[in-house]
Amino acid sequence: MTKIPTLKEMVYAAGKPERLVWIILSILIVVSLVASPLFSGLDNLRNVFLIQPVGLGLAALGQTFIVLAGGIDLSVGSVISLLTSLAAGIFQKYPLMHPLLMVAIMLGLGAAIGAVNGIIVARLRVTPFMATLAMMLIYQGLALFYAKRTIGGIPRSFRFIAEGSVLGVPMSIVLFGFIIALCHIVLVRHRFGAKVLAVGSDPNVSALSGIDVGRTRFLSYLFGGMLFSCAAIFLAARMGGGGPKVGVGYDLDSITAIVIGGVSLSGGTGNVLGAFGGVLIISVFYNLMNLLSLNSFLQILLKGLILIVAVAFTSCKKQG
Amino acid sequence: MSKDVAEGNVLELTGITKRFPGVLALDTVDMVFRKGEVHALVGENGAGKSTLMKILSGVYQADSGTILFSGGSVVFRNPSQAQDAGIAIIFQEFSLIRTFTVAENVFLNREPSGLAGFKDMRTARKETGNLLREIGFDLDPDARIEDLTVVQQQVVEIVKALSITATVLIMDEPSAALTDKELKNLFGIIRVLKARGVTIIYISHMLQEIFEIADRATVMKDGETIGTKNICETTKEELIRMMVGREIKDFFPASVRTRKEELLSVSGLRKGRKLDGVDFSLHAGEILGIAGMAGSGQTDLAKALFGVEAADSGEIKVLGKTLNIKSVRQAIGAGIGYISEDRKNYGILGPMAVRVNITVADLGRFLRGGVLSGKKEREEANKKIGELGIKVAGMNQRADTLSGGNQQKMLIARWLLKKPRIFIIVEPTRGIDVGAKTEIYRIMRALVESGSGILMVSSDLPEVIGISDRILVMRSGRIEGIIDQSGGLTTEERIMSLAVGHDYSFSEGIPS
Repeated sequence: MTKIPTLKEMVYAAGKPERLVWIILSILIVVSLVASPLFSGLDNLRNVFLIQPVGLGLAALGQTFIVLAGGIDLSVGSVISLLTSLAAGIFQKYPLMHPLLMVAIMLGLGAAIGAVNGIIVARLRVTPFMATLAMMLIYQGLALFYAKRTIGGIPRSFRFIAEGSVLGVPMSIVLFGFIIALCHIVLVRHRFGAKVLAVGSDPNVSALSGIDVGRTRFLSYLFGGMLFSCAAIFLAARMGGGGPKVGVGYDLDSITAIVIGGVSLSGGTGNVLGAFGGVLIISVFYNLMNLLSLNSFLQILLKGLILIVAVAFTSCKKQG
Repeated sequence: MSKDVAEGNVLELTGITKRFPGVLALDTVDMVFRKGEVHALVGENGAGKSTLMKILSGVYQADSGTILFSGGSVVFRNPSQAQDAGIAIIFQEFSLIRTFTVAENVFLNREPSGLAGFKDMRTARKETGNLLREIGFDLDPDARIEDLTVVQQQVVEIVKALSITATVLIMDEPSAALTDKELKNLFGIIRVLKARGVTIIYISHMLQEIFEIADRATVMKDGETIGTKNICETTKEELIRMMVGREIKDFFPASVRTRKEELLSVSGLRKGRKLDGVDFSLHAGEILGIAGMAGSGQTDLAKALFGVEAADSGEIKVLGKTLNIKSVRQAIGAGIGYISEDRKNYGILGPMAVRVNITVADLGRFLRGGVLSGKKEREEANKKIGELGIKVAGMNQRADTLSGGNQQKMLIARWLLKKPRIFIIVEPTRGIDVGAKTEIYRIMRALVESGSGILMVSSDLPEVIGISDRILVMRSGRIEGIIDQSGGLTTEERIMSLAVGHDYSFSEGIPS
C-alpha cells in the first residue's frame, strides 16, 4: 500500500520555493483551461498575463524590497489611491502638462511617501505593521479629502504608458519588463540588494558587519514607495483617471502574491522573479473566479484561504 | 597629541571605563598587547571581557580612557571603522547571515564593487577561495551558511576576519563549538597568523586551551584587570585564584552518599535511532551523571523521560508505579522537573519579573477565590530568593538582566515550588561563571540530601566527575557503562574510553 505523503513531504518533493511558484502556476493554468473555455480566449489571455499583472506586479515589487529588508507595508493600497487621485486632479488643472513631467512628479511623490514611512519605521522605531497601518489610514484620508470620487481627465499622451505599443509590443509590458529586470539586478547584483537581504535576514549580524540597519530599512521603503508610484502611474494611465478607491485590495494582494512567490515575511529570503510568479498566480486565480462567475463574497473568502495556505507552506518548509 | 604605542606593542589601553545603566562594566581598565603575541583574556562571565572587546571593535564606545593603536589614539564609532583600521573580531555568537553564501558573508558590506555600486562577486569568490586554501580548509565559497556544520561556519568567521588583513584579531570564545581535532586546526591557524605578526586576543573559559596556545594571559574580574601573567610562569590554579579569589579544592561539595529508595526505574527505553534500549534506575539522595560524546542519546533520554519527545517503547516506573509518559504535563504530574540547557528559550521569561518567573509554574496555589493573591505570591518568591541566595535588586527585576548563575537558581526555585522528587538538569552550569557554579553544585547537593534524585546530563567531564555519585556513560543510544564513584572519583579517560568504545588517549584525537 502506498503511503499518502504528508504536506511536508509534498513540499519537499516540489523542491525549493522558487520552483514551487512555477509549479503552482502551471497547475493553475491547466485547471483554468479545463474549467473554463473562456480562459483560452486571446483577449482573456492578454488581460490575464499582460494587463492585470502590471499594476499588482509593480506594487508587489515594492512590497518585495520592503519585506525582504524585514518590514511590511500595509499602506500600498491607499498610496495608490492617493497618487492616482493626485495625478488625475493635477491633469484636470494643467491638461497640457507634459506626461514625462507627470511621471517625474509621481515618482517624487512616491519617494516622499516611502521616505515618510521609512522615517517612522527606522527613526521613530514604530513597528512596520503599526506604522504602515496608521499611514494607510492617513493616506486614505488624504485621498478622500482630495478627491471625493473618481476623477477622469487623464490625457491621451499620458495614457500611452498603458495603452500604447512600440513595434507591436504593449508599452506597459516594455516598461514593466524593464522595471522587473532592474529590480532583479539591484537585488542580486547591487550592494543595496545585498544590504536589504542581510538586514532582513539578521539585523544584529548586519550591524556587527558595519551595515547601517536603519538606513537600509529607510531606503527599502523609499525604493518601495517609488515602485508604488509606478503602479499608480500605470493604473492612472490605464483607467484614464484616478480616485480614492483605485488602490483597494492592493495591500493584501501584494503581500499574498509575494508570499506565494517565496518571499519570507520574516525577511531576508526571496527574490524578484518568484514574487512575479506569485503575481501571475493571483492574476490567473482572480480571472478564473470571474470566469466561473463565483459569488464575490466567496471570492473574498477564497482569497483568505490562499493567504493562509501560502504562509503555511513556507513555514512548513522552514521547519522541514 | 601625537602619542604612539611603545616599541614592540600594537595596542595600549589606558583607563577604559564603560558604564551601562546600573552597572559599571569596565572600571579604568589598562592593558597592553604586543605585536605578534597570543594574548588570552580570562575571567568569569560578566568580568567585562566581551564588553572590552566590543569597545575595541567599535560596537560600543568607551565612556572614558584612551586606545593607542599603532600610529596614535583612536576611537571607533562603528565596526567598519575598526575593520578599516585593522582590528577584526570573531564574535562569540556567530556573525554570519545564514541565507548568504560563504563569499557573500566574507565580504558582507565590503563587497568589491565596480560601476555604480554593482558587486563584483567573481573577485569576492576568488579571494575567499584563496583565503580558504591559505588556511588549508576545503570549502566551497558558494556554499550557503545554513548548509554548513558549526565548524565550517567557524572557519567562515575566521576567513572573514582574515580578509580584513587585520593586525589585531580578537577571538571571543572561538572554541565553544569545536571538537578536539577541530580545535587543533584552529590552533594551527592561530600559529600561522602569529608568525605573520598578527596579534591575537583569545577569550576562553577553557584554561587548558589557554595554556596550549597563549603567550600571556590577562585576568579580569568585575570590570577590572587583576593582572597579566606569562603563561610559562603561571599555573591554572594561580589563574583561577586570580579569577575567583578562592582555591579550586572546595569547588565541588562532598557527597554524603546516602542512597535511599528507588525513585525512577527505566528499562528497555527506545526512541527511533536515538535510544536503543536504555535501562537504569535513579535513587533518592543521589546525583546520577549522564556522560557521552555529543549526540549519543543523553538529551534524547532526558527529553523522553520528561515527555518532550516521548519514547517509542520501554517501561518507565516512578516510585514503583509504571507510567506511560507521553506529554510534559504527565511528567510534571508524576513529580519530574526539568531544567533545559537553553535557559534563554526554554527557561526564563526574559522580560518578566523574577517573582513571576519563580511562581509561574504553580500559580494555582496563589489563588484566593479564583484571583491571584499578590501577597502570598510575593512571600513565596521572597522566601525562595532567600533560600537559594539569588542575587537580585528586587523581586521585580527583569529576569533577563540576571547573570546566568542567578537565572539558573531562579529556575531551580520555580521547580522547588512544585516539589518534584526527580530533577532532570541538562548542562546545569553552561555559561555560568566559576563562582556561581559552586553555588549551583551546592544547591544540587542540598536537593538530593533532602530526598530528591537528580539526573544530570553534562558534557563537562570535570563537572560530571566532581558532582555525580554514579555516572552513566552513553554510546549510540545505549548505556555503555555505569561508574559508581562511592569508592573514589573516576578519571576522564575512563569515561572517554566508554564513550567512544575503545581505549582512548587524548593524543589520538576523537574519532569522528
